Amino acid sequence: MAKAWEVPGLRGDARFRDAAGRVILTRWTEMMSYREGTLLGEDIEELHAMRVSSRRLRAAMDAFEGAFPAKSFKGYLRQVKEITDVLGDARDLDVAIERLNGLLPDLRRDERAGIEGLIARYRAERAAEDPLIAALFARIDESRFERRLSRYVEKHTGVLLAKLKPRPPED
Amino acid sequence: MTKPRPVTGLAPDGRMRRNARRILQVRIDEVYSFDGLVADPANVTELHDMRIACKRLRYLLEIFGIAFDADLDPFLEEVKGLQDLLGDIHDCDVQVPMLEDHLRWLSDREGGAARRLVAQTAASRPRRRTAAAPKPASEAAFRAFERQLEPGRRGDERIGVHALIARRRRERDELYGEFLDTWRRLKAERFRPRLEAAIGIEDDA
Repeated sequence: MAKAWEVPGLRGDARFRDAAGRVILTRWTEMMSYREGTLLGEDIEELHAMRVSSRRLRAAMDAFEGAFPAKSFKGYLRQVKEITDVLGDARDLDVAIERLNGLLPDLRRDERAGIEGLIARYRAERAAEDPLIAALFARIDESRFERRLSRYVEKHTGVLLAKLKPRPPED
Repeated sequence: MTKPRPVTGLAPDGRMRRNARRILQVRIDEVYSFDGLVADPANVTELHDMRIACKRLRYLLEIFGIAFDADLDPFLEEVKGLQDLLGDIHDCDVQVPMLEDHLRWLSDREGGAARRLVAQTAASRPRRRTAAAPKPASEAAFRAFERQLEPGRRGDERIGVHALIARRRRERDELYGEFLDTWRRLKAERFRPRLEAAIGIEDDA
């Protein structure tokens, strides 16, 4: 599983609002760093890492909800939830295919056809998820969600993304 | 899925620790609200909701851990273990109906293929002018029909799917037993009061 990015400047005695800005902006940047790899679709681990990051982001938004105006915050939370859900549907199929493939060597001959048929069905369903993921990110771009979210978080927390500069952990 | 309980009395301009304590208190309550309900393995929804409650608590411990002097990692690991077990139970609870649905899908496809073939065969027969009884099909015609039907048959695929359903049901029973043991152990080891003490909940009381 992809390691969570360190949150720059986060201290234990931080104010709630300041911590909210630092954590949410870091998690957002972390999640979007997997965007290209996910859209490329060559390595299922890229989508997995993006899904895990999206869940971290969502958890951070749930945790720091109290730092934002309740009504306007819901719209941002809903969009992030949609990202998690769309990636989750594709990831669930990736996992199911991987697990079924793992079962095949231990199956009796008469059991194999059923599992191979199931894998074929899941593969077809998984292929249908790629256009949905591409459409989701096209909508995010069209609505300039990335810019709106960072500005919104900056406005309510005083933390600026340009100054925060979150980075992936060094191996 | 149940919605998270609202957390009141937060002070966004106050320190993270004080706010984290209030949020964690509500989320710990949420996890423990399922105690009793999850003693019945048939309570699929409650088990799923408890998983979500554990997930929320786990992420909060990860996020807010930095705000506390006590090491919350051992608590985090226990909650994660519980969440993983409940997650695996949920996977079985979701997969069995999906596999049963797949069996129906196989039957539908097979039935559809047979119906199409019957319709094609009927259409290819010469029409009779009289209402006389149709001649019985020849052995050769029957064999030809059987050969054409074969590609649409999915009967051999059902064996593996039935075996997988049985496997998932067995796994579910084992996982549930493991979950119950873990949950009972955590209660016996006074997990909740220890966690609350670690984050200083009694300080606010």
